[in-house]
Amino acid sequence: MFELTEPLKMLEQALRPYCEKELSAKVEPLEKGEVAVLDIMRDFDRAFGINAMVSGALHEMIERKCRREREGIEEKGSLQEVLAGEVGEAMDPLLIFIVMKELCRVSPSFALSLGAHIGLCGQTILAKGTSDQIENYALPLFSFEKLGCWALTEPESGSDAFALSTTAVPDGDFYVLNGSKTFITNAPCADIFVVYAKIDREDSKADKRMIHPFVLERDNEGLSVGKPMHKMGMRGSPTGQIFLSDARVHRDQLLGKREKTSRSQAQETLTSEREENAAMAWGIIERCLEESIKYAVERKQFGMRLIEFQLIQEKIARMYVHLENVRNLAFKQAWAMREGRSNILDACAAKFYAAAAAVEVGMEAIQLMGGYGYIEEQQVERLTRDAKLLMIGGGTSEIQLLNIAKELVRDKGLSLSLTGGLRN
Amino acid sequence: MNMVVCVKRVPDTSESEVHIDGSGKGIDTSRLSFGINECDNYAVEEAIQKKEALGGNVTVISLGDKQSDEVIRMALAKGGDDAIRLEDEAFAGSDAVAVAKALAAAVKDVEWDIVFTGALTDDDGYAAVPVALGEILGVPFATYVKKLEVMDDGKKVKVGRELEGGLMEMVEMTTPCVLGIQTGINEPRYASFKGIKQAARKEITIKSASDLGLDASDCGEAGSWAALEQFTPPVVGEMAEILEGEPDETAGKLAGILKEKGLV
Repeated sequence: MFELTEPLKMLEQALRPYCEKELSAKVEPLEKGEVAVLDIMRDFDRAFGINAMVSGALHEMIERKCRREREGIEEKGSLQEVLAGEVGEAMDPLLIFIVMKELCRVSPSFALSLGAHIGLCGQTILAKGTSDQIENYALPLFSFEKLGCWALTEPESGSDAFALSTTAVPDGDFYVLNGSKTFITNAPCADIFVVYAKIDREDSKADKRMIHPFVLERDNEGLSVGKPMHKMGMRGSPTGQIFLSDARVHRDQLLGKREKTSRSQAQETLTSEREENAAMAWGIIERCLEESIKYAVERKQFGMRLIEFQLIQEKIARMYVHLENVRNLAFKQAWAMREGRSNILDACAAKFYAAAAAVEVGMEAIQLMGGYGYIEEQQVERLTRDAKLLMIGGGTSEIQLLNIAKELVRDKGLSLSLTGGLRN
Repeated sequence: MNMVVCVKRVPDTSESEVHIDGSGKGIDTSRLSFGINECDNYAVEEAIQKKEALGGNVTVISLGDKQSDEVIRMALAKGGDDAIRLEDEAFAGSDAVAVAKALAAAVKDVEWDIVFTGALTDDDGYAAVPVALGEILGVPFATYVKKLEVMDDGKKVKVGRELEGGLMEMVEMTTPCVLGIQTGINEPRYASFKGIKQAARKEITIKSASDLGLDASDCGEAGSWAALEQFTPPVVGEMAEILEGEPDETAGKLAGILKEKGLV
């Protein structure tokens, strides 16, 4: 596990020149909003044939689901188990990590948007959707015909994500959705929206209302989106709000088409998002370290190369320690995901450490380069701004710590609340 | 139409300082990254494009140790069908002619209409392998090929050779032939995810000098026309002035010199 397999090494070797040449040339227009993120995804697909790789398997998956639906067999299991076969192979965690890492060396923004499109939106539909939902909504995502987003966070429920207040009121064959979502990656440009809402039946008590994912399209009546938000970093990834105002959604758009408890599914998706953060941090740290070494070797002050100063050596050495740790965490996370042994404790610990390490390494890279590090021409400035999101998105670093503590005492019979104190 | 494409794994020296090793006959490669020779990358693409257009088979051949498998596999991932790697201690010290002898021996067991090579390699830069290979095989050859059109059901090819000043020399020749491909003839693709997965499962046939029917006199220094004496760094001579200092300082000095000589 500590060495990449031959195909993964080749993948890394194939991705590197693409990212350095093609993606790198699009970073500035992407950051300025002059080019659509979906167009870059299409270019990425043309280069590496993502759709060609998964489309056959996706159609097989649809047929399999179709048969099971006819026979009334319910599909159970984790995301990875459901995505078995060729799709599962294409969704191999370490493969995804290598892709995310390589993309993040150049454009964490693009990686973030691609992750939301395929990882959050696409995978949720594949894992929980019915055969026709997969055909109607997931296929256009994997063919990069349409852009997807995954909407859980609301203005009043960020860290406390499951306290969401968006409601879905049944009305015959329809549900009427009301509420709003915020900080949603890809939302301003998305075509397909996976939106979580609480089903509000007249007879159900407020605390018993189940959270369900619905799939909406951009032209859905009552759905509108805000403009892209101006952010500190990840500027190449459009982020925005979604407004649902009496949005009528047919029951065929309820993901899975059956009302059931889906908190675990959203939790599972969140866990996988947390795990991917280690891969994103890996890419950012690796690039910042490389840029720092290059600069420290070339730049001379007081007649010496910067690298000859021990304070610079310390910075570089510390960066490497972070790189090594984050890379190992990513390997461990990928292994756990492959083996179906993912758990909240390790996912939160990895995300907490990797995010902090990426920000620290980025800041140190800027410091090492001084004035040159502070200007946009050096990539480290942008990468560091991008890195900061890793401490916020997919659960803040503080929430990761609370989750870690909560998990650590679970076997002591204690149930820690995230708001402090004990429940029992 | 069947094709052979010869590829070489070379160090990427574009962004790294190159140091001569202790023997004086090589460079210190311990800190260099390696990849496919740039011209060979275009040769691979050209072979695959022709296969896609006309059908047939692409065999990838490389002379080198196990590490050369990475460039072979990448060529397979892009669309190559079979692969042969020539490995033998006897090949050490081969010049372009000895390399061509080994390649010529290897293609004898393969059905082919065109052998593609890069026009030259990024490391040695002799640009002699395609020429020597064509001579040894006794077939027409062309180098610096930047255009290729297959005619008469593959019996003939029309090639454009890039000459100085952007001139294009158009040559017609019969097949089988050897073509040394120049960069820019096409736009090399990236290996697809699916191609990478498939390439990992493909077998690379390893052949030694004896497998190829070569004896010691054909290989390495014995089989070469030229022997490498030693590498030397550029010597600071009377006609050369090395500018020392920070980039802004040296840029200023350079601008001054150019102005003084009336060149700007």
